[in-house]
Formats: sequence, C-alpha cells, structure tokens
Amino acid sequence: MRKMKGSQKQNKNKETIHYSLSANIEEMKQSFSYGLNKDFAMRTLKAKYNEKKACLFYYSSIVNGDTITTHIIKPLLEQTGEKLSNIVTIENVEEVTDFETAIQNINSGKVILFIEQDSTAYSMDAADFQHRTVTKSENERFIKGPQDAFTESLNTNISLIRKQLHNHQLVNESIQVGKRSKNEVNIIYVKDLVNNDILSNIKKRLDDIDVDSIRNIELLEQYLEERPYSLIPTILYTEKPDKATAFLEDGYVILLMNTSSACLIMPVTFWSFFHSPEDRYLRFLYGNFSRAIRLLCFYLTSMISATFVAIANFHSEMIPPDLLLAITASRERIPFPLIFEILIMEIAFELIREAGIRIPNPLGPTIGIVGALILGQAAVEANIISPIIVIIAALSGLSSFAIADLSMNFAVRILRFIFILAAASYGMLALTGAFLIIFMYAASIKSFGVPFFSPMSPEFVSTKDTIFRKILKKEIYRPGYLDLKDNRKRSE
Amino acid sequence: MKKTFLLLCFLFIMAGCQDRIELEQQSYVIAIGIDSTDDKGTYEFTYQMANPEVGSAAGQGGSEEPATETVTVQGSDILSATFTANSFVSKKLTLDHTKVIVVSEETARSDDFIRVIQSASRTPQVRRQVQMIVSKEKASDFINNNKPLLETRPHKYYQTMLTRAIETGIVPEATLHRFFQITEGDADLFLGIYATTEKSDQKSASEGAEDKYIAGEIPQIGGSPTQFMGSAVFKEGKMIDIITGEETRLAHALDPTLRMEGYLATVPDPMMPDYRVSYEYSQAEMPKIDIHYHKDKPTTINVEIEFQIEVIAIPSLVEYTQNVAYRKKLEKEVVTRLEQNTKALIEKSQKEYRSDPFYWSLYVRKYFKDIPSYEKADWHKKIYPNAEINVTYTLDKLEFGKMINDSKLDEVRD
Amino acid sequence: MQNKGFLRVREIAAMILLLVGVKLSDSTPALLTQKAQNGFWLIPVISFICIFPSFLLMLYLLKKYKDKNLVHLLEAILGKGAGKAVSFIIFLFAFLSMTLDSRNYIEQIKLLYFPESPTNIIFLIFMVVVFLGAKKGFEVIGYSSWIGLPLIKASAFTIIFLVLGDLVLQRIFPIFGSGLPIILKEGVVKASMFAELFYILIAYLATRETAKFNKGSIIAALIAFFEILIFYFIYITVFDYNSVAKIAFPFHDITQFISFGEFFTNIETLFMVFWLFAAFLKFIIFLYITTWIFGVIFEIKDFEPLLLPFGFLVGTIGLLPFNSVINELHFRETLLTIMSPFFIVLPVLLWVIALLKGGLRKK
Repeated sequence: MRKMKGSQKQNKNKETIHYSLSANIEEMKQSFSYGLNKDFAMRTLKAKYNEKKACLFYYSSIVNGDTITTHIIKPLLEQTGEKLSNIVTIENVEEVTDFETAIQNINSGKVILFIEQDSTAYSMDAADFQHRTVTKSENERFIKGPQDAFTESLNTNISLIRKQLHNHQLVNESIQVGKRSKNEVNIIYVKDLVNNDILSNIKKRLDDIDVDSIRNIELLEQYLEERPYSLIPTILYTEKPDKATAFLEDGYVILLMNTSSACLIMPVTFWSFFHSPEDRYLRFLYGNFSRAIRLLCFYLTSMISATFVAIANFHSEMIPPDLLLAITASRERIPFPLIFEILIMEIAFELIREAGIRIPNPLGPTIGIVGALILGQAAVEANIISPIIVIIAALSGLSSFAIADLSMNFAVRILRFIFILAAASYGMLALTGAFLIIFMYAASIKSFGVPFFSPMSPEFVSTKDTIFRKILKKEIYRPGYLDLKDNRKRSE
Repeated sequence: MKKTFLLLCFLFIMAGCQDRIELEQQSYVIAIGIDSTDDKGTYEFTYQMANPEVGSAAGQGGSEEPATETVTVQGSDILSATFTANSFVSKKLTLDHTKVIVVSEETARSDDFIRVIQSASRTPQVRRQVQMIVSKEKASDFINNNKPLLETRPHKYYQTMLTRAIETGIVPEATLHRFFQITEGDADLFLGIYATTEKSDQKSASEGAEDKYIAGEIPQIGGSPTQFMGSAVFKEGKMIDIITGEETRLAHALDPTLRMEGYLATVPDPMMPDYRVSYEYSQAEMPKIDIHYHKDKPTTINVEIEFQIEVIAIPSLVEYTQNVAYRKKLEKEVVTRLEQNTKALIEKSQKEYRSDPFYWSLYVRKYFKDIPSYEKADWHKKIYPNAEINVTYTLDKLEFGKMINDSKLDEVRD
Repeated sequence: MQNKGFLRVREIAAMILLLVGVKLSDSTPALLTQKAQNGFWLIPVISFICIFPSFLLMLYLLKKYKDKNLVHLLEAILGKGAGKAVSFIIFLFAFLSMTLDSRNYIEQIKLLYFPESPTNIIFLIFMVVVFLGAKKGFEVIGYSSWIGLPLIKASAFTIIFLVLGDLVLQRIFPIFGSGLPIILKEGVVKASMFAELFYILIAYLATRETAKFNKGSIIAALIAFFEILIFYFIYITVFDYNSVAKIAFPFHDITQFISFGEFFTNIETLFMVFWLFAAFLKFIIFLYITTWIFGVIFEIKDFEPLLLPFGFLVGTIGLLPFNSVINELHFRETLLTIMSPFFIVLPVLLWVIALLKGGLRKK
C-alpha cells in the first residue's frame, strides 16, 4: 500500500467518487481536459460479469497497451465471475474512493476503471514509462567490480539493489513530494539496522519540502541540504548500485526517484567522498595503495598551485638552487607576475574542462587539440607561461580527476582558487591559515547529525576505514556514528 | 557581507606586496667574500651571483653571458652592503642560497674578524651550514679568479668541490655553525677551509706525499686554478696559523665531531724504501677519547683510534699478502707513521697554539658540575697545554683488495 | 556551545598537547638560558615536579566535587565571592599569558619569514584565523587538534631525526649549567610554564565521562613534558651553552640548520607550515578557554560572541610598542614568576579548605 502523505493540505479534489458513471466520466473528462489532452484515453465498455457499463481512463503514453487489452479489456468483455478481482488478470487491483487518488494514479501510469452504480473505482497498474536500459556506468568507472549503473527507472533501480542484497528487511518506502506534480521519492533502508532518528529526520525533511514539483534526485538533493551555501556537500550522489548497496548494508539510507539514474546516500562523512567501492574490491594492499594515491591527489589538486605560489613568491629559499635558477631563467621574459601565470593556466584548464563536457560528440577531438595548444608548448613559446607553470597546472588538473565524486570535485576545485589567492596574499602564513579555517569548517559540518570527520574524530566504534582500510576479515563493526540497531558485522 | 569579504581579500593581496617578490627580481648570491680595508670597521664585500640563464634550457641567447656576476662593494656588514650593491646591481640580492663565505687570510688574521662575521649569524638569510673558506689572496681576487671549467653554475661547483674535499679529509668541515660554537665555547681551535687560486712555491710529489701540502703548493697542470688544501687555524675567532692537508686529516681522525669517509695515502715500502705502498685509510668507529682530569697535576688524555686499511698498490711487488712477517712490518710502518705525525701535530698545538683543534674540551666537561668551575679550570690555558697525551693507533684490519697476489717480477721477466 | 559529549580522551589529550607542547618552539628556552646556561634543559624537570602534584590535586578535587568546572569548583570551595575573585585572577593570568605569547609568535613569524611586512598585518591575519577557528566551538577544535596532531608531531620527529647527526652529547656537561642552586630556583620560579594545564580545567565537563578528561589530561601533560625535555636537550646539544643564550628562537634556528640531503638545504618553510598549524591551534584553544573562563565567571551562558572582542583585545595589547626582547625577557619572565607560586599553592590551599569544610567527605 502506498501512503498518501503530504497531500492532505491540498484538497480541492477531495470529493468522493459518484454513484453514477456518467457523473464520474464527466468529472474525469473535465479534470484531464479530455479531447484537448491528446494522450488521455477513455474507453467505455460493457462488463460481461455484471452486465454493467464500465469506463477505463489512462494516459496512453505511459501505459502498456497490450497489457490493457489482454489483461483488462478482454477479461472484462469475455469472462464471467463474481468479483472484479477474479476477472481481470492484471497484477494488482486497488480500490479508490476519491477523485484525487484516482487522478494521482492515472498520473503515475495506472488504469482507472469506473463501473456503473459503483462508488468505488478500481486502479490497475499497467504503467510502462520509457527509460534507458541498464548500461555501463559512464561517470564512475571501475576496472574491477560490477559495471552496471542505475537507470531512469525506479523498478529497475530497486531490482539492481535487491539483486545484491537479498534481505527481507530491505524496505522500500515511498513518499510523495511536490504539490502540482506529485513525484514519488523512495526511501530505501534496512529496517533492522537503520537508526530511526536519522530515518525520521529524513522523512521530516521530505515532508517539509513545500514546492510545486521536484523532478529528480539532483534537485531533491538541494532541497534536503541543511546548508545550501556551504562549500562542502553533505549528501552523496552515486550512479553505482553496488556502491549504494554497500552503504545500505552499513545502515545508511538511500533515496531513489523514478526520474534519475542515480541515488542519494545519507548521512555522509568525508570518507564517503574519499572512498571508492573499488578500494574494497581490490586486495588489501592494492586498495590502500590507490587510497594513498588518491590522498596525494587531494593534496595536489587543492594545494599544489597555491604551494608553488607561496614558495616562489615568499619563500624562494626553499627551492633547490638548480631548480630555482631554471625557474628564474624561464621567468625572465614572462610579462606577468607569477600569480597571474598560475591563474591563467588554472582558468584555462577549467575552460577546457567545462567546454569538454558541453562539446558535441563529433567535435570532441577538437578540444584536445585546442587544449594542448593553450596549455602546452605554444603558450610557453609565446612567453606567456613559464614551463614549470604548465607542469604545475597539469598536475593539479590531472589529479582533480582522481576525486570521483562530482560535488567533492567542485568543492576542491573552488578551494584551489581560494588557496591560490591566500598564498598570493601572504605566502605560507595565509595559506596555512586558510587551510586551517576551511578544515575546521569541514570538521564542524554535520550531515544529518553525523560529524563530518567521524569516525576519525570524534571517535566511534566502526571499521576504522578512514584513510586506509583494514583487511575485510578484521572489519567487525558497522559505523558507530549512525547509532544502528545492530552494530556488528560479524562475530569475532 | 560578501562585498566586504571580497574587499578584504583584495586588501590582503595588496598588503602582501611587502614581502612578495618575484623570482626574477632577485639575484641569488652564491659566495660572499670579505676583505678588510684600510679603515677600521669598513670592509669590502664581494658577492658572486649566479646567472640563471646560463646552463638552463629556457635561457634563449643567454649562453654568451657569463655564468656569474661578481661585484665588490664597501660596507660595514654583510646585509647592509647588499643594499649598497643595489646601486649597480639591478635586482635584490638574496643571501638565502649562499654556499660559502670567503675570507682573505689578512682579514681572518685581524682582531676585528669576529665582529664582521658575527653579523652573518644575525640575519636569517645566511644559513648556519655555510662553509667558511680562508683564501690566501684577497677574497675578491679569489672569487674572481675562481673559474670552474666543468660546473657552469657556481653553487654546483662549491657544493661538489667542498663535499668531495671534506669527504677525503684534506679540508675540514667548516660551517658557520661550528665556527660559532667553537669560538663562543672559548676552549678549542676552529679549523677553516684553506684555499687559493694563486700558485706559490710548488713542492714536488716526493716531498709532499699526496697530502703534505697547503693550498697553492700542489703542482697542477690543467683544470681550475683553485686549490682547496689544508686548514686555517682559528683561536678565539682569529686566525693564527695554517696546517697542511695531512694534518687536517689527522685532526679529522682525532675529532669525533668531524666526519671523514677515508682517504688514500702512501707509506714508504718497508722492504724496498724506493717504492711506496698505497693504501686506503678508513675509520669505522669514532676515536675513543678518555680524559682523566686532575686538579693539581697534568691531565692525562688517552686517545684510541681503530682504523682499517686496504692496500691498493704495491709497486715494489713485495709479497705482503702471503708473507706474515712482511705484513707485520708493513702494519708497523703504517702505525708508526701515523703515530709520529699525530704526535708532531699535538706537540705543535700544545706548544705553539696552546689549544687543541680536536674539540676535546667536550670530554673534560663531565668533571665539572657547573660552568663557573669549568671556566675557572680553563681548558686552553691550563688544562690542555700541560696535558699528557697518548694517542694509540690500532690497525683493526688489513685488506688486500681483490687481488690475492701481484704478478711475480721474476716470472714475468723470464 | 555545541557540546554533545563527542569528545574523547584523544581529543582532550591532543588539545592539551598543543596548548602546552608548542611551548618547545617559542622563546621560552632563551628565557631560561639567560640564567641557567646549558643546565636549562633540566628546568622543565623541576618545574614539572613542582606543578604536576598540584595539577593532580586539582583533578582530584574536581573529581570529588562532581559536575563542576574550574570556576564552579572555586566557588564551591571558597564561596561565591572569593571563588569568583580567584577565578578572575586566573582569567587575568590566562589572558596576559596569551597576549604576551601571541606577540612572541608574531615576532617569530615576522622576523624569520616576513621581515618586511608590518607587524600589524601579520597580527591581523593571525588573529582573524584564530578567531574564525575558535568560533567553531570547543568540539570542532578538539576534532581538528586530533586530526592535525599526527602531522604536527610527524614534522617534529622529522626535525629530531634530521638533527640527530649534529648532536654533540658532551655539550650537556657541565651537567648543572650555571650551578645547581640556580637551576633549582629557576625550576620553581618558572613552574608556571605548565600553567596552561590549569586553564584547560575549565573544560572539565566537556567529555561525557570526566574520567576521560582526567586520563587525557594526565597523558597529555606527561607527553608534553617529555617533548619539551627532548627538544630542550636537542637545543643544548646542537648549540653550545654560550650560543644558546644568544638565540631567541632556537626551534627556528634548528629548522634553518638542518637539511634534507645535499639538494634540499633550506627546508625550514616546510616545518614552518606545521609549526604554524600548531601555533594557530594553540591560540585557538587558548582564546576559547580564556573566553570560557570569563563567561563562566560572569555567568554569561552564550559566551562565544565574546570571542571577537577578546581576540581584538589580544591583538591590540599585543601590538603595544615594546620590542620582542623586552616582551620576552622582562614581561614574560615577571608574569611567570608571579604565576608560579600561585599555581603551586592554590590547589593545596583549596584542598585544605575543602578538607576543613568537609566537602571531601560527601562522597
């Protein structure tokens, strides 16, 4: 059964279904602008089992025509029997007593059946929304691990999750959000694990959303956030079912919508953004090696340019003399200050990145050529950029790709510019200060009550999977900061 | 709120200008020379700056420029003279990368030397790891004449040259740090690197036997004119004498705070004195220094040195490898020579310098409870000059390298 | 106050380590060598022996009088008026130490790394960072301290490792420096170099179980003590007794001295970064607890808005135009000398009064 939450306030259509069929037909026609609304279909017929007139309503664009013909219309016309539920061969039949529900049901791809002299309508599921098939994950890539990705279909997505987690406690609850377009948000969690406070907090936030429509999960994410201005994301977004399932197993809560090929995971910590499921698919040493590299990438992409600016402009004594002389020699003919050089290159890199995403596929190769020109030898030969800056910018740009999560990626890239400006203003002093402030800001962030750097600090019982992970056999506890109903993964 | 924040950001960026300096706006001083002038309190400072465009791929057309620019200005201390130098050097002089400070012998021997070198420790720019070189000629001449052939960049030259020379023990490690510690400790002698670009009366190799030189005396054909050899002896911040490379090596062997990798040396062949046996000397362990301090009678200092030698060449082709008696003789020869030379050096330091260049005062400190009593006992006036010093060399191991036997002359000349 | 009791032993220990341990890098050694010469590394031993029992006594009293922080404890034992007065003296001590110390740190930054910038701007940047950090609340400071601590300590160990080759152990002799009596006297007089231990007691209730605070503070005090001892030992063995008295900031002289192989010769900026982290965190903690003490004395529940005026005040007083030598050798020495007997005697006094009043028998 689907709960009808959040809709009570809006009750202009709350009237019950009439006893007479013609009144019902009239009501429906008016509601859906029949005739104007091309894909809204009505089919009247005479049911054989009770010899009464009946009428079916549905959107022809979102239902499966074959299903309606073979499982609803044909039985109604031909079969005899006592009850409707014994006649139609469709999966489920629900009774509907008011128009509002009926309208909602039609919107979500159901067929509504009105019968003469019956104040109950019957809603039958024949929905067939168009969606992509399950494809390989495009944006989060693994070498080792399952390759499938969520697609824009709720049922498919849930099936992808249930395929991995065979557990009757895995609950898929649905809440409707939006006033004009009532879209379903599905909350998925493991019932005998999840922390009820966090769950009710999420439900409350979903209930509190007061907006006409929320089309997809990407928009929902921003309605759920505590701090919309914050630089740091507090909800994890992923298109990988295996990643989502791993979080479910640890007692996290997942949101899915029919319209998005991804899910939201909450609450999160810094480590949720830092980790990749592949770290666990790889063997202990290999996985931790890739963690180490990723940590380095975090540093490189956020700080390397800023560190270079600070050292070259304020602490040049630190550079070994050979390198120092080489950099100095290449800078002798550059018309800009160093900070300008760095900014030019960093912005150029961002340009290429942004353009590279938007560029139509056939033009794809151009971006490579243009990019190489701007970021490479041509800029150096034109005496605009010194070669070391090219290396620095390339390093910081390249390592940014190691941060797979898009939100974190943006956060780090914006931070990079803040750090560069800080370093240019007062060298290491300002850079250290800026880093500390931002770090403390991150430490102060809570995602649904969970401190951002837990379980490192504050400490909780957990797998201690922070920068490096342990071997799987030694992971005994589930994350303690979630305060779960069952805290143990395995007995010792 | 956001506007003020932005404004603040820009303010900071503007405010940062005071200490922000672009790399190409600085000149990197590699060597500093100090010469005294006729006026007391005024010195001539020579700054050797590296030309970044020489020796780097990015420097287009810089190859005709010289590798260094050397300027000499007068001033009262190292730092303030850099500002005077700016009247004809286009960039700010930065001393952060200074590798060496060159002092002319004349200046080093003057009483005021400690005053001018003191200013170096005040600025954070001059590091404590900077090596101190005493040059026979004027420091400005030394820096100007010093034309390394293979290392185009001056810092590389000083770095490799000094590292190697210190490793072989012919010059001491003479950082400013050590200079200040020893001078301020006011007990021992500091050894500075002695170098010159001028040739003096050259000794032939037989007199010198590889290391009995001081800089300038080594016969040399080709290469850079600069020679590093021997050390300048400083007492209480003032130079008093020069010792040869061999003596410097002995000082290395005796001083636990100095490190030396080992060196090649020769002794006259005990069996055929016309030839010399070459060996590599190395010292795996620090010398053991055992001081017995006696308040009213001379202090005894016992020094034990364990060393290894590896015989490199036996031109006399005597069978040292197989013949035990021969080998014993060779061992004895080496030890005796070392002991004789050491004894001579110690005698010289006791009589002539009246202090030690081995930093041994450290070992007598433990006999005192506090500094006043230690200073009263007075190491370099009372204790050391009157001490009884015994140095024993023990040959720990004698190796013969990869050849078991040399070719037998009589068999070859069959 | 966003106090949810998330703090554990490790966070408390990290904060105390930063608050007390960073002392090894400021110019306290220069202050101590003036009289004690190369025996100065023994002074912390004496100081610690003097002040640690008092600190333990204080912890004992806090344990006995449950659910009280420093100020409330004083009020409970001495009565409301007297308790507040003594607390205010403690507050003044904390505030003055913070002001003088901050000036000292600013001087280090300015003299060594930003010689041409005006002190005001550096002070401004420093205090802005400290204020913004303190604003995040005690728990976040705790988390940040703990996460930052390994890096800071790793850099300290790197320094120790790199300088090992340059140690000359014999330099610690003559063992008592300028004489045993002087060292003993200095040790007692400068006992308040560990005074920060008392200020942090205001946060006694920050952990969910106070046993954690006790454990954390005792561990941290011991580690901090050993750290200070090790570094002072390094200073004296790298610099001879005559030199060390001349050096205002031995920590930075060491970082300038060491090199990482032949090619990275000037690596002090690397250590400066971690030192700065430690210094920032130290003053963030210091500012927060000082304001906290003030807030509790005057019963201001929501004291965090006071951080800004206090930060500003520290900056303004710190900028008073005395040079660093006067600041260090005169004011700070006087302050330490006044504080030492106070912190050694106060806990004993409190204990005696509590004993007489019968406050200890309750539980």
